[in-house]
Amino acid sequence: MSENIIIELKGLTKRYGYGDTESFALKDFDLTIKRGEFIMIMGPSGCGKTTLLDIIGLLDRATHGDYYLNGENVAAIPARRQARLRAKKIGFVFQNFNLIEDLPIIENVALPLVYTGYTKTSRLKHASSVLKRFNLEEKEYYLPYQLSGGQQQRVSIARAIVGSPEIILADEPTGNLDSRASFAVMEELKNIHKEGNTIIMVTHNPALTVYATRVIHMLDGQIDTDVKTVADANLPQPVSVKIKKHKPEINLPSDDGKHKSKKRKKSRRKH
Amino acid sequence: MPLLLRTHYKLARTAIKEHRTRSFLTCLGIAIGVASIILILSLMGSISNLVKSEISDLGNDLMVVRPNSTKDTVTDIIDELTTSNSFQKSTLSVSDVSTIAKTEGVAAVAPIAVSVNTVGSEKNTLSSTPVLGTNLDFIKIEQLPLRFGAFLNEKNEEKSVVLGHTLSLALFNTINSTVGKTVTIMGEKFMVVGVLDEINKSISFDNIDFDNTLIMDVESLGQITGSTQIQQINIKAANTDGMAELADKLTKALVEQKHGDSNFKIIYGDEITHPASSLFNIISGMLTTVAAISLVVGGIGVMNIMLVSVAERNREIGIRKAVGASSRNILMQFLFESLILSFSGSVMGLLLGYTLAFLLSTITPFAPYISWEIIAITFLTTIVVGILFGIYPAIKAASRNPIESLKHYR
Repeated sequence: MSENIIIELKGLTKRYGYGDTESFALKDFDLTIKRGEFIMIMGPSGCGKTTLLDIIGLLDRATHGDYYLNGENVAAIPARRQARLRAKKIGFVFQNFNLIEDLPIIENVALPLVYTGYTKTSRLKHASSVLKRFNLEEKEYYLPYQLSGGQQQRVSIARAIVGSPEIILADEPTGNLDSRASFAVMEELKNIHKEGNTIIMVTHNPALTVYATRVIHMLDGQIDTDVKTVADANLPQPVSVKIKKHKPEINLPSDDGKHKSKKRKKSRRKH
Repeated sequence: MPLLLRTHYKLARTAIKEHRTRSFLTCLGIAIGVASIILILSLMGSISNLVKSEISDLGNDLMVVRPNSTKDTVTDIIDELTTSNSFQKSTLSVSDVSTIAKTEGVAAVAPIAVSVNTVGSEKNTLSSTPVLGTNLDFIKIEQLPLRFGAFLNEKNEEKSVVLGHTLSLALFNTINSTVGKTVTIMGEKFMVVGVLDEINKSISFDNIDFDNTLIMDVESLGQITGSTQIQQINIKAANTDGMAELADKLTKALVEQKHGDSNFKIIYGDEITHPASSLFNIISGMLTTVAAISLVVGGIGVMNIMLVSVAERNREIGIRKAVGASSRNILMQFLFESLILSFSGSVMGLLLGYTLAFLLSTITPFAPYISWEIIAITFLTTIVVGILFGIYPAIKAASRNPIESLKHYR
């Protein structure tokens, strides 16, 4: 098995209901995903795209079949470590953003870090640096409803990558956005992909497939077509994304850090 | 892990702050429960403090013989509650008193035999008046202030009574010219030889309110009522050293006198401060139960509001789980919330309870009684209530399926 394989699904089946009401969201689904791939999954509603993402994201379990994440059989991983894996290795982007309404943007972004043992200060510092990358540093202490849809989706992408995960799972991230905001969001995803992240994205919009390195069409819980547009050898590999075991590396000169905290206070006052 | 606990605490605090009114009302439920418990414990504490100060006034040579409580079964307790005399089953007798009197080292001994009778005078007739039967030694053990006349003595021992201040007013509408008049008890006429000064102490180790009591000789009382139930025997020791040896000696003598029946106890020192009546214990127990019930109701309020909170934050739970919260993290987050609610409720209750106790002390002789035990009990109850009523909503939150939680809004 190649070391570059990050996800391997073998004979994955997800069944809902029993007897007469039995239906299969996934049926004998086989898929191997290499590190650095940008996969678009397309297909009609109800063909099992979202179920697939949920299972890959460890939110759901398959009825039958094996799922190897980094060569480890997921069925053998206890629930608590699965939660830790979700926090550290997987980032979710949802169609409706799923930000917590009561928390300011910066705390929404810092949410995955809450469960990986960061102090509050380092959480906020880290979240702030990610928000800066998305040009949202002015909005740190805004509440989600005060932002536009495109901005909210960029916040949720920021949340997805704040813990430097290896896999980004996006379920129709542009589904609720106009074309302009969609473009901005896709550019961000493209940049993240360039840094070597593996992205699996579900979409209904065929125009977006230009960003992908591999396009999979699904039908009735099975793969209909599977087209690779970039050779495996040319996939971007993680170089810059190097996480230390515990503390995040924040390469900020000390005076820059002071400047940032001042700025944050200012924006709070404005708010 | 401690870091995560602090995070949970902060999260819970934020969540509570967001719903100020709701959280305050929930806390109030707990606060009322805690306040009533505090109030009752404080009252009970101040009552035994009152008795304690009385004992220390009397000196530490006091020793008391009481029958062992035979009120073990529920029927006995009900029996006791429905009869006016709370010591029906006393095993002490007049001969016990003389046995004690003969024992070496005893300076004075007086029986306390209270029965309830109808007392009549030329003006009024009072039913259910407490009549204390005792002997001449009583005044040597416990100094009662006399307003007029004299206490029972060798000259007037028979057919004479001493009236309490209030009782004198009730019977004759006066206290001045009462001495020399007659009262009628069960057809027998007795002469009033003395009237006590106002004592205004409703709680004493004798379990007698002297202001309202008629005092007479125990043997005369035995003659008119037919039987004498001695509830307590007061003993004054000759010297304060060797109280334990004296108690042993008395126990031996009494057991011998009663042919091996040891259904009594001899107590001295601080032990006397436990109020004499088991009725008191029953009433305070019942009050505490009622207060505990109100605390349970407050706890149900916490559970209710936590369930609402869990339902409201369904989506938040889903999001948190999706970004990496384990079920345990969610459980702790909600458990902390209910703990904070019940904790702040009990702090409120503590303040409220002592405020009430203080207000009560201005109209009653009960000074507010504060002890670390009461406060410790309060906070222990708080933690128990917080966990007991918070665990179910927390488990419910933790067991939410993240997919379901997120799907509702997809």
